[in-house]
This record gives sequence, C-alpha cells and structure tokens, in this order.
Amino acid sequence: MTADVLDSRIPGITVVARLRAARRRRHALVIGVALLGALGLAVLALTLGAAGLTPVRALAAVVGMGERGDLFVVQHLRLPRVLAALFSGAGFALAGAIFQSVLRNPLASPDILGVSTGASLGAVWALLTLGLGGVAVAAWAFGGALLAAGAIWVLAWRRGLHAIRFVLVGVGIAYVCGSTLAWLLSRAEVREAQTALLWTIGSVADVRGARLTILGVGLGVLALVTALLSRTQAPLALGDDHAAALGVRVSATRAGLLLTAVALVAVATAAAGPVAFVALVAPAIARRLMDDGGAALAASTAVGALLVLSADLLGQHLFPGMSVPVGIVTGLVGAPYLLWLLSGRSERRTAAL
Amino acid sequence: MLTSPSAATADAAAIGAPAVDALVAGRRTRFLLVLGGCAVLLGLVVVASLVLGVRTIAPGQVWAALVPGAAGHDPAHADQAVVLQLRVPRTVLGLLAGTALGCVGTVIQGITRNPIADPGLLGITPGASLAVVAAVSFLGVTTPRGFVWFAFAGAALAALVVFAIGRAQPVRLALVGAALTAIITPLIALLLLRDVQAFDRYRFWAVGSLAARDLSIVGALWPFLVVGVLLTVALARRLTLLAMGDDVAASLGQDLRVTRALAAAAIVTLAGVATAFAGPIALVGLVVPHAARRLVGTDYRLLTPVAALLGPVILLGADVIGRLIVPGAELEAGVVAAFVGAPVLVAVARGRAIAST
Repeated sequence: MTADVLDSRIPGITVVARLRAARRRRHALVIGVALLGALGLAVLALTLGAAGLTPVRALAAVVGMGERGDLFVVQHLRLPRVLAALFSGAGFALAGAIFQSVLRNPLASPDILGVSTGASLGAVWALLTLGLGGVAVAAWAFGGALLAAGAIWVLAWRRGLHAIRFVLVGVGIAYVCGSTLAWLLSRAEVREAQTALLWTIGSVADVRGARLTILGVGLGVLALVTALLSRTQAPLALGDDHAAALGVRVSATRAGLLLTAVALVAVATAAAGPVAFVALVAPAIARRLMDDGGAALAASTAVGALLVLSADLLGQHLFPGMSVPVGIVTGLVGAPYLLWLLSGRSERRTAAL
Repeated sequence: MLTSPSAATADAAAIGAPAVDALVAGRRTRFLLVLGGCAVLLGLVVVASLVLGVRTIAPGQVWAALVPGAAGHDPAHADQAVVLQLRVPRTVLGLLAGTALGCVGTVIQGITRNPIADPGLLGITPGASLAVVAAVSFLGVTTPRGFVWFAFAGAALAALVVFAIGRAQPVRLALVGAALTAIITPLIALLLLRDVQAFDRYRFWAVGSLAARDLSIVGALWPFLVVGVLLTVALARRLTLLAMGDDVAASLGQDLRVTRALAAAAIVTLAGVATAFAGPIALVGLVVPHAARRLVGTDYRLLTPVAALLGPVILLGADVIGRLIVPGAELEAGVVAAFVGAPVLVAVARGRAIAST
C-alpha cells in the first residue's frame, strides 16, 4: 500500500521497483531451471548403466524399496556418484563465485589462484615422492590447498587484504606450484607420473562412505556460513572505499568470505580432486545468464552442480567402453558453452565482471 | 619513443609551468637511469651465462672463443667448444625468448587492462602445448626441434581464436582466454593419459628449458620476433591512452580497431616465438611488466623498453641459477623462472602503489 502511495508521487521509484522485480524473477528462473535440470539428470544418472532401471524402480531404491540387486546398484554405486558430482560441483562453483566477486576479477578462481594447483601438488608429492595412496593422498591434497591459500594470505597481507594483491600473489603461487608439478612429473617413472597426472584431473567415481559424508556436511556448513556473510557482500563490488563508506567492515568481510571459499575448495578437492575449471566457468555462465554484474552466488552454485553432474554423465556414457574422468569433461562441456554465451552478446557493461 | 618525453617537455614549456617542466625532466632522468641499470644487469647476466655452468669457463677463454681474431682462438679447444656449441646458443635463445616474453606480457596486460593477464592465462601457451602434444601423439614427432613449428602454430592459432571471439574487449578477452584454457587443458590430459609414450616426450618439453636447442630455430623465427618487437614499440602510445578507458582513448582520436589489430598481431608473433624457443615458460611474461611499472610508472612508452630488457634478465638469470643450484646437474629454466619470478611478483604486489589501483 505504501508502495502505491509512493508510486503515484515519484515515478522513478516505480521504475526501480519494476526493474528489481524483473531481476528477481530472472534470478529465480535461472536457479529454478538449473535445479530442475540437475534433478532430472540425477534421476537419469540413477537409471543409466549396465543394469538398466526404470526411473520408478531407481527412485524406489533410493528410499530403500525394491529388490536387493537394485538397492545395491543404486545405493552403493550410482547415488554416491550422483551426490558427489552435485556436491563437488556446487562447492567448486560457490567457491569460484565468492573468489570472483570478492576479488573483483572474473579470472580469480581457485584454478588460477593456485589453491587447486596447491592441492594437486600436495597429492602428486604424496603419490610420487612419498609413495602414498588412497585417503592419505586426499589428506595431502587438502593440506596442499590450505598451504597454498595460507601462503597467498601471508604474502598478500599488508595492513589488510587488498583484492589486487591477493590475486597477483595467488597467480604467482599457482605458477610456482604448476612448475614444480611439471618438474615432479618429468622426474618420476613414466607410468607413476601418468597415474599422478590422472589424479590432478579430478574424478567423482569413487567418492562414497565417509568421504561423501564429509563432503556433504562440509558443503552444507560452508554454504550456510556464506549465506550469512554474503549479505554485506554486495557493497564490496562497488570498491573498498564505497563499501567502507556504506558501513561494511571491508577487511573482515573479505577475509571471512575468502576463508570460506578456501575451505570449500579444500573440502571439494580432497573428495573429488581438483575438478578443473568448474570454479571458473560456472560463475561466469551464471552471471551471463543473469545478465547482471552481481555476485550470483546461489545461481553459480546451482549451475556448478548441474555442470559437474552432466559432465560426469557424459564422461561415463558418451564413449562406450571408456570412462572419462569428470575433470576432463567439465572443461570440454562448460567452456564451449561459456564461449557461446560470450560470443552471442556484445559487452554492455564492463563492470559486469 | 625516446623523443616523446621531450615532446611532453615542449608542451609543459608552452603552458609555462616550470614545476611541470622539472617533473618531466626528473622523470626522464629516472627513466634513463633505470634503462641504463637494466642494460648493465643484462650484460652481467649474459656474461654469467657464458662463463658459468657445470663447467666454469674463464672469461679469457670465452673471449678467445667468441672473437675469431683473438689470441688463442681455437674452436677445437674443449672450453671454447662448450662456449660455441652450448653456451652461445643457450644465451641467444634466452635473450630472444626473454625479450619476447617481456614484450608480450606488457602488450597483453595493456590491451586486457587485467593485471593478471599473461600468455598462459589467455590460452596461448596452452594452445602451443596442445599442438605439441598432438604432434607427438598423432604425427610421431620426437625431437624438441620438431616441436618448434607446432608450438609456434599452436600459440598463434590460440591467440587468433581468443582475439576473434574476445574482440579485444578487456573483460571478454580475459574470459575467452580462460575458457579456451579450460577446453585445451583437458584435451591435453586426455591425449597424455591415452598414450604413455607421448606423455614421456611431452613432459620434458612442458617444463620449459633453454638447453638442448640449437640456433637453427633462431634462424627460422627471428623475423617474427623483430616484427613483434616493432609492433610493441608502435603500440606504446596507444596502450598508454587505452589505460584510461576505451572511451577516453577513442575521444582522443585513437582508432580502437587498429589498436586491437596491432595488439593481436604483436601477441600472436611474440607468444609464438617465445614458446617455440623455450617451451611454456611460466610467470616471466606476467612479472616483467609489473616490475617495469614499479620502476618507471605506467607510461608504456617508458615501460616497453624496460620490460624488453627485464625479460631476458629474468629468463637468462633463471637459466644460470638452474645450472648452479644442483651440483653436477641442471634444473630447467622454466622451473627456476617460476621461483625467481614469484618473489618479484610478491614484492611488486606488496608495494604501496598497487593498493590504489
């Protein structure tokens, strides 16, 4: 009612209100379509495979009804894989969206900032130099991600955390880790090096049991933390000075959000390996679909989950008799789509990072 | 290029502002000092590169080897043979690849206006890598010498794709480059996982090295380097204006399409040459423009020559360090360059000026 009163007096407000409503509708549409798509693909993933199931039988097996064979296939093989793809995709994408919006650079993703490379280096070190395997490698990857992030943090910190410093130091760390990785691979026995290379690509094939639980719980908690922190995030996109003028505690907010993003990457990488470029591509796609320069955290998360699940499905079933790790397909699926989105529209806003 | 500061001086004098005059003169002195310092540094690194290594060779012997008329000139002498057959090619390659990297990093950061843009992030080095992997696994190319043209073609093709889709608009260009990297990297991984032999050959190229390459590469590719450097010089004024934004540059009479076409040509040739000479060298192209900016400011007319000198200083310096750091063995220049470049980058990033950008 008050809005109506205002409307009649100040026409500008009607326009703003209408624009805002249109934006909200668009956000809801993108998120809804992505979630629906992910749900549909999840059901499809449960039915496809050597033991073909109807959607009804597959869904029944999810809730514990049906034959023992169905139950085993769905609950032990297919459901964990689907969940792992959804969770890791959501985790990487959310982390990427946070990095990119807080650091105000569309390239600032854990792939490029060295957090993922640090995880890879940790895992490859564990595989090639220490001769470890299994969970120990995941632990080393987790440690590698945190160590890389810690190094960036320490080296970039100077009376607060400035976005551009963080990004520059992050790229430096990424190249150092990448070069060391290439060097380790060139010095090892060639078969072992190839196994290590496989790890650095990322796969959701064997994520089940405790690893899946840790991933799910970790993602849930961190997503909640992000939701709480992100309310002060929009002003940050305006620049540090403006955000501070609006009453945002810039350094604290940025540090909190980045810490959450690093934790997301570490948790997802430890479970599934550094699934390449989800963190870079998913937020970029989400922002293009939204057609605005906002952070688009929720939409990025949904797009990321959809991207990794569809990539995993393609990798499993596209080439008969050959299972391609999801990390290879994500880039091949997501990046051309991003290119297509980028080529379709001229750049209207350079601010739309 | 060197005449431009004096043109600015003339402007300032016309306004009648002695203070501005003094500032410009101060800037020019500083620029000349920095340039001279970089040149001296480069000379020292070149001498070190000729003298130092697994086998240290006396400067007298190096001189005797290089100058045909010098006393004791004897190409058959063991030390002189090392100089002529190993050290000289390596040093020349390092000089040229370093120059190419310094220039290409400067142009890329200028045209994308993104401080983290470099040939690696724009998908150009990955393009070269993919071409090399494809050459190894499909065509059976085995020697680094055979890789050269594939690396060059791959880099050039990737750069063309990035510019065609990115239309040289800063944010787009960066995103397209990153997307291209995201497509190429898994393709490389797929090919390498399929073919263990190809992986075995590729992994040594992928580290990035100046050793085991010969000067015939230089003979074939030097025109590209010259063209690239000339384009970079020609771009300096345009990039300086472009830094103030597309609109400002256009309103000052700059044809943005020309700028973008020139920049694309410069990047294609320089990145191709650098990758063909030395493999995918990380960080040099990124660090050098930042370091140069710290030394002489943001004017590309001053920035470019400093970057062209600093590039080889870092690359060749990394190569020399790599020869000395492990007794009796060598670390590849690519690995050392990352470890040499990273502290420079951190120092630049921690500098006071960067916080305000």
